[in-house]
Amino acid sequence: MYSLWRFILKHHFVILFVLLEVVSILLLARSQNYHRNRMVNTTSDAVGQMYAWSSELSDYFRLNKTNRQLAEENAWLRQQLSITNDTTQITYDILERDTIYEYIPARVVNNSIGQVNNYIIIDKGKVDGIEPDMGVISSDGIVGVVADVSRHYASILSLLHSNSVVGVRFKNSQELGSLKWGTSNYRYGLVEDIPTHVIMHEGDTVLTSAYSFIYPEDLMVGTVVDTRPVNSGALNTAKIRFATDFATLRYVYVIRNMHKSELDSLKANFR
Amino acid sequence: MNRTALHIFRFIGLVLLQVLVINHVRLGGYVHPYIYLLFVMMLPIYMPGWQLLMLGFSTGLTIDLFTGTPGLHAGATTFLALCRPAIIRLISGTQKFESIHEPNLNQLDGVWFLRYTIACVFVHHFSLFFLESFSFHLFGQIMLRIVLSVPISVFLIMILLFIFKSNKKGVER
Repeated sequence: MYSLWRFILKHHFVILFVLLEVVSILLLARSQNYHRNRMVNTTSDAVGQMYAWSSELSDYFRLNKTNRQLAEENAWLRQQLSITNDTTQITYDILERDTIYEYIPARVVNNSIGQVNNYIIIDKGKVDGIEPDMGVISSDGIVGVVADVSRHYASILSLLHSNSVVGVRFKNSQELGSLKWGTSNYRYGLVEDIPTHVIMHEGDTVLTSAYSFIYPEDLMVGTVVDTRPVNSGALNTAKIRFATDFATLRYVYVIRNMHKSELDSLKANFR
Repeated sequence: MNRTALHIFRFIGLVLLQVLVINHVRLGGYVHPYIYLLFVMMLPIYMPGWQLLMLGFSTGLTIDLFTGTPGLHAGATTFLALCRPAIIRLISGTQKFESIHEPNLNQLDGVWFLRYTIACVFVHHFSLFFLESFSFHLFGQIMLRIVLSVPISVFLIMILLFIFKSNKKGVER
């Protein structure tokens, strides 16, 4: 026992190093699975608060651009409204259908695009009704999925994350694929698992598919910029340009699916 | 000013500078400068090893809290803390530091400090990006990141050092 103690004392520097390094790697490995990536709520709140203060300042420098984006979105929504006003039938349709999706506006207080795994922090949390696994969109396109929620803040697993997978659909051909980041550039992503018979062109629009429980159908994802036939295997890959500009993201909407508990209980039956 | 207070002040300053400013500077997606390791570099030369490791670990963990990457910066900074005594020995050769409490530009020359900074930044960035690639299989891009980020980090750290050098009482960050 004494010699063990002597050994520990003699090599305490290296032993402590190994210990700390093992703790780090365990933490890192654990965080790879984003469902277990739950930060301590109070800590996340404190960090969120700090980012909120700093972003309040930097927001002033972007008011111009933010205003323009909001105005463009308003114009688009007004246009949609005028279309539905024209045809009474569609209005009826909308009124009779239940509202499935609720949109909760939120402000981005921190955002990274340069890491291998990027997260976005927004200033809405549990008290505002945000829950993990809700989809997040901007006025331009989809952004990511809520990963973790604290009282007043939430962290979003952005599309720019190595674990991010989204079911998408080509607007023209209706064919499905799955979107991953795959490039380390924040403007581009890869749509994988495309059957080889699908003909793709540059500029084709990619939308969210109907099979996603996170995003509503037909939300803008991006446009095809490059198609690469892959020799091995029977599936193609397309490079797309994200509709969302992650570098200038300021305001987002969190989507609450009103039918989620229903869908979840149905899905639970399959297990 | 009390030395401990100085270190705490430098710690807070560097962490804030890193997470609120430097992390938001976007230079083409591959350049990720890190300057917070200056805190570990500036710790007393003859500090007990275990203190050095613990401080390195907690510095990294603080950064991790903000970037949402638990363990990544903590691992890299702990490794830097492990290597620091060896780096100082290698660079200084026979030079002794009896009169010098902690590395600073007022008592050590610029060339020594540049070599010290390059060695520390390289060790830190290499282990940081290596830890990242270990989990994400993007080795080619990781090497590119190291090649592009190290010079920028060294540059920024040297600038910080020279900005805060002028104060002879040593109230540098």
